[in-house]
Amino acid sequence: MSALSLPKRCSALARPRALLLAALAAAAAIVPLFLDPQGYWVRVLTLTLIFAALGQAWNIVGGLANQISLGHAAYFGVGAYASTILLINFGLSPWIGLFVGMALAVVVALVLSVPTFRLKGHYFALATLAAGEALRVIANSWQGVTGGPVGLSVPFMPDSFWMMSYGAPRPFYWIALAALVLVTLVFWWIKSSALGYRLRAVKENEQAAEVVGVNTFRAKLWASLVSAAATAAIGVVYVQFTYFFDPDAVFGVATVSVRLALVAIVGGIGTVIGPVVGALVVVPLEELVNAALQGQVAGLSAFVYGAILIAVILVEPRGLVALFGRLRRGLGRRPGGAGEAGR
Amino acid sequence: MTALLEVARLSARYGRGAPVLHEVALELGQGEFVTVIGANTAGKSTLLRAISGVGPAVEGSIRFDGRELTAVAPHARPKLGIAHVPEGRHVFPEMSVEENLAIGAHARGGAPGGGAAARLEAIFELFPRLRERRRQFGGTLSGGEQQMLAIGRGLMLEPRLLILDEPSLGLAPMIVEELHDRLVEIHRRGVAILLVEQNVSLALSVASRGYVLQSGSIVLEGPAGELLRDDRVREAYLGI
Repeated sequence: MSALSLPKRCSALARPRALLLAALAAAAAIVPLFLDPQGYWVRVLTLTLIFAALGQAWNIVGGLANQISLGHAAYFGVGAYASTILLINFGLSPWIGLFVGMALAVVVALVLSVPTFRLKGHYFALATLAAGEALRVIANSWQGVTGGPVGLSVPFMPDSFWMMSYGAPRPFYWIALAALVLVTLVFWWIKSSALGYRLRAVKENEQAAEVVGVNTFRAKLWASLVSAAATAAIGVVYVQFTYFFDPDAVFGVATVSVRLALVAIVGGIGTVIGPVVGALVVVPLEELVNAALQGQVAGLSAFVYGAILIAVILVEPRGLVALFGRLRRGLGRRPGGAGEAGR
Repeated sequence: MTALLEVARLSARYGRGAPVLHEVALELGQGEFVTVIGANTAGKSTLLRAISGVGPAVEGSIRFDGRELTAVAPHARPKLGIAHVPEGRHVFPEMSVEENLAIGAHARGGAPGGGAAARLEAIFELFPRLRERRRQFGGTLSGGEQQMLAIGRGLMLEPRLLILDEPSLGLAPMIVEELHDRLVEIHRRGVAILLVEQNVSLALSVASRGYVLQSGSIVLEGPAGELLRDDRVREAYLGI
């Protein structure tokens, strides 16, 4: 009997960690009060939160279903363009545009998933990479709607929550934090739900899952749709925050697709806290590198990504979260490794 | 006796290669215990994989309980009453024994009620070792225990047909004996079994009928006792 109420038991076990995460979120919420509201650090931290949220959205399909997508820019850009085009042409609030973007991203995910889910591993990653690139090409050439390579400027409306428009970055910090909390809750909920249980089976052995009756395609599809919708929504927050974007900024491989996958992989793929840890490392590090070199060496950030990724894969492929765990056990604060298998 | 499983003119190939199965015909009655024997690469696994739907594209017909299976999605076949225990066991390594077992009941969509709990209990009775190790990860079990877990996971689906692919592969002789006793017990409880096995003498001693598959074709079939005495079988597979 106990075995058959598993999802419930998982969430009960997680309660102390839920409190910890709530405390972390509360602490994060008061951080900008101590920083210059116009300042550089609020901007960097906002970007960090946005990428943590994106990494978490990616984690739903990449971490739970083990589908390593390198095409999430497709959803990100669709959200960004949908909302901004509606805002420019019809004065529609980005909060509403956000839902339109999510709906469109779900459609894109549906179209991409049907052919790509038949592929495994590297082939899946490459196919998704191509899908993201295809949308970048479309955005570049469909000038009448997207503005083409020139890009779009988000109309500025001084300090209005309804129009998601602020002169200072601080309110965006809170919006990004709220987005991160929301996506994390969704991730957590899926992870401990019946769907999460099926996704674990898919991740551990797709063929065995199929022969015990798991509809692996449908499980992966659900994860993909939720992930796409979340990514599109965060895309809207991102472009409201940056005011300006072009196809390379929202559909780019290095700027978006690889960066948000990297955030989750570096932090700890499939873990709740992983994308947050990953974003805290990747985004500020990139800023520091760019600041130190003053933009003299273009494209160095991609080099930095590569270096971080190689380092993580070599030292601890399960990411920094697992590395911290290992170090903690190594220091002897948690003696008796016998419990490992039982948990 | 109406057939539970009827395979007719079944051919299969991987890509553009030579056919792995060629016009295979096979029948299995309600509650019958049938074995398919043959050398490596004879196509035994492909035959089983075709029945559970995870193999290559096939031509021909597979009927289960009168229903054509080739149009049914692989994940829907367990619901009809087919449980496939794949070669190499394929337990979920980072799920506990209980979680491994529950996934079958879970995927079936049935409410986690008394039926599933009773089945779990029955499986623990059949394989007491699994009860002892219920909280342990699948990947930490011994080969024999993993095989028991894979069979238990299949039984959680309440199958009418249990398909087993090389369950004795890589196991110690004593464990193999025990495993085959369990199979006889499962069969006694009314589950039809289709067993593919390299251990030919053991397979023919537990099954009631057998088929000999050679290079993708059925070359011989008959009651297990007769096959066991057949000179060709003895020479080719028993080394006597």
